[in-house]
Amino acid sequence: MIRRLLNTTAFRLSLVYALLFSIVSAVAMMSVYWVVEENIIHQTDAQLQLQADVLLNRYGTRNNEALLGDIMRRNQLNTSDPDRRFYYYELRRHGKDISFETEYSTHNGSQLFTTLPLNEAINYSLLKDPKQPARIMVRLLPDNYQLLVATDISAQNALLDKVFNSIVLAIAGIVTLAVIGGGLMGYSVLRRIDRVRQTVGEIINGDLSQRMYVTSRNDEFDRLSIVLNSMLKRIEQLMQAMREVTDNLAHDLRNPLNRLRNRLEANQFRDPASTDFQQLNQDAMQDVDDLIKTFNALLSIAQVESGVQRDDWKDVNITQLINDLGELYEVVAEEKNISFSHHSEEQLVVHGNRQLLAQALTNLLDNAVKYTPENGRIELLAENTTEGINILVADSGIGIPADKHKQVFERFVRLEEARSTAGNGLGLSLVKAVTDLHGATITLTDNQPGLKISIKFTNYRL
Amino acid sequence: MNILLIEDDTATASFIQKGLNEQGYIVDHAADGEDGLHLGLNNPYDVMIIDRMLPGMDGLSIIRALRRQNISTPVLILSALGEVDNRVEGLRAGGDDYLVKPYAFSELHARLQALLRRAQPAQEQTVLKLADLEMDLMKRQVKRGDTVINLQPREFTLLEYLLRNAGQVVTRTMLLEKVWDYHFDPQTNVIDVHISRLRGKIDRDFDPPLLHTIRGAGYILHDPTAA
Repeated sequence: MIRRLLNTTAFRLSLVYALLFSIVSAVAMMSVYWVVEENIIHQTDAQLQLQADVLLNRYGTRNNEALLGDIMRRNQLNTSDPDRRFYYYELRRHGKDISFETEYSTHNGSQLFTTLPLNEAINYSLLKDPKQPARIMVRLLPDNYQLLVATDISAQNALLDKVFNSIVLAIAGIVTLAVIGGGLMGYSVLRRIDRVRQTVGEIINGDLSQRMYVTSRNDEFDRLSIVLNSMLKRIEQLMQAMREVTDNLAHDLRNPLNRLRNRLEANQFRDPASTDFQQLNQDAMQDVDDLIKTFNALLSIAQVESGVQRDDWKDVNITQLINDLGELYEVVAEEKNISFSHHSEEQLVVHGNRQLLAQALTNLLDNAVKYTPENGRIELLAENTTEGINILVADSGIGIPADKHKQVFERFVRLEEARSTAGNGLGLSLVKAVTDLHGATITLTDNQPGLKISIKFTNYRL
Repeated sequence: MNILLIEDDTATASFIQKGLNEQGYIVDHAADGEDGLHLGLNNPYDVMIIDRMLPGMDGLSIIRALRRQNISTPVLILSALGEVDNRVEGLRAGGDDYLVKPYAFSELHARLQALLRRAQPAQEQTVLKLADLEMDLMKRQVKRGDTVINLQPREFTLLEYLLRNAGQVVTRTMLLEKVWDYHFDPQTNVIDVHISRLRGKIDRDFDPPLLHTIRGAGYILHDPTAA
């Protein structure tokens, strides 16, 4: 678990984030530290300067005796008051050395030493004795005198130490929180992914009804799960449809195959020259042709549903298609004494596959002719509406009851009324597959009497 | 007539071979793509039947290779992939006709004959004739004997196709393809109705009848009185 947690992207990301954040905040805090330190030194130096100015203003640069006396008195005062902010003073004369070593007594008797370069009028130095940290200023006076003023800076150092410690603490806190937070995030991501993995495992094992868990948070995982769930639903539907098709196929093929076998069997011992033999042979061929047609229709539907044929789509002239099909079916309708009319508005174009659209429409027209009694009428119309191109096939035939409107698009579905006529129950399935492929909607309505089928395309162009 | 058959399924191949032999054709059979291409490149054939899916080298590649060598022998593609884009792809590769499995032998035979006819150098005919039936392509006029027959434009195209393939069986699928440009199996009797219309115009009042139905196969336009 820990190992997998460490491997999660969420954990790694938060770790990287923590590291970057720590570096940035460390840099920021250290700059603060340096600014504070700078400021403290600056203030200390200003105070040392002030002390020196006070002394020199009072006694001038020539009255060394009086100055020395004052210094002695001040040092005496310092020694007697341990709580004061200590200043140490010294006035001394020196030779030609460039640098000199200075020592002076502090209030508690310890000695301070420092080496100062003498090439500047005023020099500062830090005394880093941990027991008695001090800032020392030396000012050059005429006749090789130097005035030294020093101050205890342990309080300032303590402040800087505090600042430094809090910085270290803050960075440590940030890193710890980041690691814990990363761990928690990683854990929660891991838990949700484990859930998905578990579900997927069950689906792989064949339980297609399983769905991804969706929380009420509607976060990115939920959205992903929702998309996956709709995909799973679609897959399940397709599997279900496939199973039904297989079942229906087995059922629908058994009868003609059985009939075919019986015919061939009966013919075995017949005289090939006899009319019975010839007739049975013809019938057997017809059986096989019907079977092949069924297979081809199934294959076509499957191919259309798979959507591969969208590759070679062109603009299809619907006006011309309607006129061609009208001309093709006019004579068929006339043969049955059905009045047939067709009309299309000019210049209707649909982006799609002409062959498939033609096949779908011929299926509808075949049905119309098949189920419309003599002296009935059939209309084939195409018009442009505000929503898009609309193709109508209306007949005055036996129609389809409203509660069966959905069912008739399923494969092998044949209504009771149609059982007596030839057909395989695949015509409307293909029509549905073709209209779906073209993004069109197909609706059946009662034509009173008869059936009105409308196909609405939305992706039209004028 | 020499035919090259490239088909990997031996049962189908021997069935086609036998059927075509009975019709008087000489058939060479290759069971894989490379053998087929070798035969096709080195022997003169009148027509080739090439399966699309083959071991070694697929049918379309064979056709492309043949066309690159300027071998323009008509090719009939056999395929289990039945849809329009496949058909277009096959024809684009250089095939001349496309037949989808499963198919009736009569369909195969009819299409082969159409291909063989097309392969013969056809002089630009302006008048098609069969017995006393005459079609003038320039005037777009059809006559039987001296009687002018009025045909609808589509009937004219239908008769023209039948006349160009006179003496040969044409199937309903071929008619729907060549006359109406629909590449799918007619599910109903549309073609029959159109044929019977045409028959009513060119045959009813004349003798002998020229347009005949071949059961289980299709139609044939021929003159029964001639030889």
